[in-house]
Amino acid sequence: MMTAPQARPAVPPVVSPATAPEPAPLLDVRGLTISYGNARGTLRAASDVSFAIRPGEVMGLVGESGSGKSTVAMAILDLLGGGGRVDSGEILFDGVDLRRLSPSERRALRGDRIAAVFQDPFTSLNPALTVGHQIAEPLIQHKGLSPRQAAARVQDLLAEVGIRDPRRVAAAYPHELSGGMQQRALIATALGCEPKLLILDEPTTALDVTVEARIIDLLAKLCDSHRLSALFVSHNLGIVNRICQTVTVLYGGVVVETGATGRVLSRPAHPYAKGLVAALPRITAERRHRLPSIPGTVAKLSGAPAACVFAPRCPFAEETCRSQPQAMLTDGGGDGVRCWKADALAGTPWPDEDAGKARGPKAAQPRSAPLVEVDHLRKIYGASRSILPWLRRAGTVAVEDVSFTVGRGEVVGVVGESGSGKSTIGRALLALTEPSAGTVTFDGADLTEQVRRGDQTLRRRAQLVFQNSAASLNPRKTVGAAMDRPLVLAGRADAEERRKTVASLLTRVGLPAAYADRYPHELSGGERQRVNIARALATDPDFVVCDEAVSALDVSVQANILNLLAELRDEMGLSYLFITHDIAVVSHIADRVLVVYGGTICEEGPIGRVLRPPYHPYTEALLSAVPRLAEDGQEAPRILLEDAAPAPGGRGCVFAGRCPRKLGTVCDEQAPPVHETADGHRIVCHIPLATLAERAAVFPELADGDTRH
Amino acid sequence: MFAYTLTRLVYLALVLAVMSVLIFLVTQAMPGDVASMIAGQFASKEVVDAIAVKLGLDQPLIVQYGHWAAGILRGDLGRSLVLEQPIGPILMEALARSLVLAVVALFVVAVVGIGLGVLAAVRRGKLTDQLVSGVSYLGIAVPDFFWAIVLVLVFGSYMKLLPTGGYAPIADGFLPWASHLVLPVITLVLMLLARIARLTRSSMIDVLQTNYVKFARAKGMPESVVILRHALKNALLPTITVLAIDFGLILGGVVVIETIFSYPGMGRLLLFAIQRHDLPLIQATILIVSAAYCLANLTADLLYAFVNPKIRHGMRAS
Repeated sequence: MMTAPQARPAVPPVVSPATAPEPAPLLDVRGLTISYGNARGTLRAASDVSFAIRPGEVMGLVGESGSGKSTVAMAILDLLGGGGRVDSGEILFDGVDLRRLSPSERRALRGDRIAAVFQDPFTSLNPALTVGHQIAEPLIQHKGLSPRQAAARVQDLLAEVGIRDPRRVAAAYPHELSGGMQQRALIATALGCEPKLLILDEPTTALDVTVEARIIDLLAKLCDSHRLSALFVSHNLGIVNRICQTVTVLYGGVVVETGATGRVLSRPAHPYAKGLVAALPRITAERRHRLPSIPGTVAKLSGAPAACVFAPRCPFAEETCRSQPQAMLTDGGGDGVRCWKADALAGTPWPDEDAGKARGPKAAQPRSAPLVEVDHLRKIYGASRSILPWLRRAGTVAVEDVSFTVGRGEVVGVVGESGSGKSTIGRALLALTEPSAGTVTFDGADLTEQVRRGDQTLRRRAQLVFQNSAASLNPRKTVGAAMDRPLVLAGRADAEERRKTVASLLTRVGLPAAYADRYPHELSGGERQRVNIARALATDPDFVVCDEAVSALDVSVQANILNLLAELRDEMGLSYLFITHDIAVVSHIADRVLVVYGGTICEEGPIGRVLRPPYHPYTEALLSAVPRLAEDGQEAPRILLEDAAPAPGGRGCVFAGRCPRKLGTVCDEQAPPVHETADGHRIVCHIPLATLAERAAVFPELADGDTRH
Repeated sequence: MFAYTLTRLVYLALVLAVMSVLIFLVTQAMPGDVASMIAGQFASKEVVDAIAVKLGLDQPLIVQYGHWAAGILRGDLGRSLVLEQPIGPILMEALARSLVLAVVALFVVAVVGIGLGVLAAVRRGKLTDQLVSGVSYLGIAVPDFFWAIVLVLVFGSYMKLLPTGGYAPIADGFLPWASHLVLPVITLVLMLLARIARLTRSSMIDVLQTNYVKFARAKGMPESVVILRHALKNALLPTITVLAIDFGLILGGVVVIETIFSYPGMGRLLLFAIQRHDLPLIQATILIVSAAYCLANLTADLLYAFVNPKIRHGMRAS
């Protein structure tokens, strides 16, 4: 059984200086317990969860995937699917317990007084209906508007969420809009009936950082101007820091800490919260630093917790933690922590695995003989020649004239938004797509030519790790069988020897050798990604392309995998092409970075140089969009880019349409010149290098932190 | 959309051209000699040769094909050797009757099958779902001629409610026309229902799990709107494809069913032509059946665009 909240003894009761009575919370969740049941048993997704959101307040609900945060949000909406049910507790909305209402009364509240925006805008809009129709639906349903009145209101709503062309967008089908526009349309839908509470379930997770920055900005503004309360479900502490006044941390379906955002993120009291904050990848110029990570996986409970849920992963755990359930310790200020050692641990940081084994920076690789050389690569998709004249198409340019090299043992980061062509570059380097023009040379040999001739030897030396760890593994094959395949293809005939290789590879990536007999669905996301890495290593490659390899993972696991990749590079001398949208992740692992936009490289250089001025205007915007915690220093003013604009058809700069520092027509009409410095830093921009260098650093703390270059 | 349709029509013409060559070659390879069949068993070689010259059978194959194809392009399908009539009107009459059967049966299958599929998906795992699956499987698991015979026995022979076979033109009045259609349509429906219901059910289950259905529910839409407006439209795509194939199937002649109910459609005509070795009739019938299949598929693809704006968009781009 959970024990009732107790006064926290070590903290003297705080006397609130304000005498005004605390306003009654708009949403008051009390003792909410939710479980999923099927024939095989029950899974407790939330245990005795309590929190309150006051009018006009935005509360963050954070935790790893599997912590129960989305389940709680769905329970408030009465949309628990798949056998989920609320076992006990109250959900008080405006003083009324929602659990006592009938299903149709709850439906009437949904979309009207409680509205929701979900994670993935690309799939949240119905592909068969116009956007305007979908925004109008709740207005007609809840407010009794006529279709004509609703259509007029839709235009206003779209304008309010920052869509400049409401008429066109309302008439469009979802696939005709960008992700950012789709998410704005969903926000407009949620705002339509002027709700009092917004449930935001990872509303920006699927978006590019530059778009995310704008959407968060919009949400913060709307919550402020409409005096909206919101429950903001997120795994991203940086985003929570930007928008939430209070935060509740969930672990294993249990609230482990709650309090004001600034306090929780700067001085987390619960060990789990400490771990989450520590594992967040921050912009750093110090590549050698290993990220702290939280070992193990999220706890799965079948009943009420019998001990501290976090104890199995907690570095501070003692015998008491493993034998007694923890009570919520609260102080007078509304802060609470479910850890009896919280006060003793105050000020103790999450253990840093790197402490004591700091290694000096690796000696710079001689850059004379690059492993991979990309020369004037160009890739056009969808071009077709046909005898029927109306079928001929020029195609879409994905990559336009890109040249770079990857040295032996070097990690080259490729950073850019979706659609920038970064994945196409990776695929071309593995000969998975044939370049339309240009060459890819691997260890001195023309890769495209070799593969065309049917010679697969180079392919064995270059491997790939994808983003979606589950979809990259065949669900019907065991881990061992999946890893055996590349070995067979590589001509390893002896089955016994192959089995030994598989076991040693699994051990190499930190998994028990017995995992060879498991199926992918029996593993966690992080474990599956380790298997994917192990499989990529099976043919003993020199070069691995990591295409968003850590993007889908929780921060704690992400840190883990990044550390593994860094270790493998150091020990096996691997080279990586590390493709990601997250510049903070790149700063932890890459030696050099290519910033790509619209299929071209707009800036490249050693990581330390790219993170410091002079910046390409696009790099500057990317860096300023990275969400940060208060303790990391003052946030620089954010540069908000327009939603993706079509690239100009002419020969000008591809970024001109969105560039906040555009000079004028010269940007549209002439190809930008290349500014190149001695240390290999290149910026492609019309703005003179001296002017670019005058800008203040986005991360002042890095200004002199880099000593390697 | 226009360009897309145009492209598809060009491909359709190509497919039919290739088909015509194949049909012509295959029928040439059939055993027996047309001229000697016409002349009869006891005709002299001179008579047979004279008939062959008259029919142009002495000329090289390519020339014969040229004559045949040119005739078709002019709208002349040739003359039936056995019936000694122009093929065009005979074929069109049979096609019209098959069309009636196809349209009525497909309409019933679509309405009932999609309805049952949606019902089963919404009540997934419950008794309704199992009942729909079970009953519709009975239709597919038992061969069609069995149902046909049972229906003929029950409604025709014992109850004497409906005619056991034949066809009445609509000119004879609606009731006689409709009463001749009931039993063949029921048999076809039993045969085709299971696939449509199962297909609709599974794609509906997929669609009901999508984010946009969850979001529609989060907007507070009533369940009926969620299912009919948000889910069904997206779930219908695979069903449309299969319905189009079924349409082509019935149009091309369902030989067994047409025979049992002595329904004078394309199936019976083809069977007749093959049995009597009427080469021009065989060729023309197969060609028309191929054309019917192609057109049914084209219709399905155009319907796709109607249902799915994304595909429509792709067509506009082409």
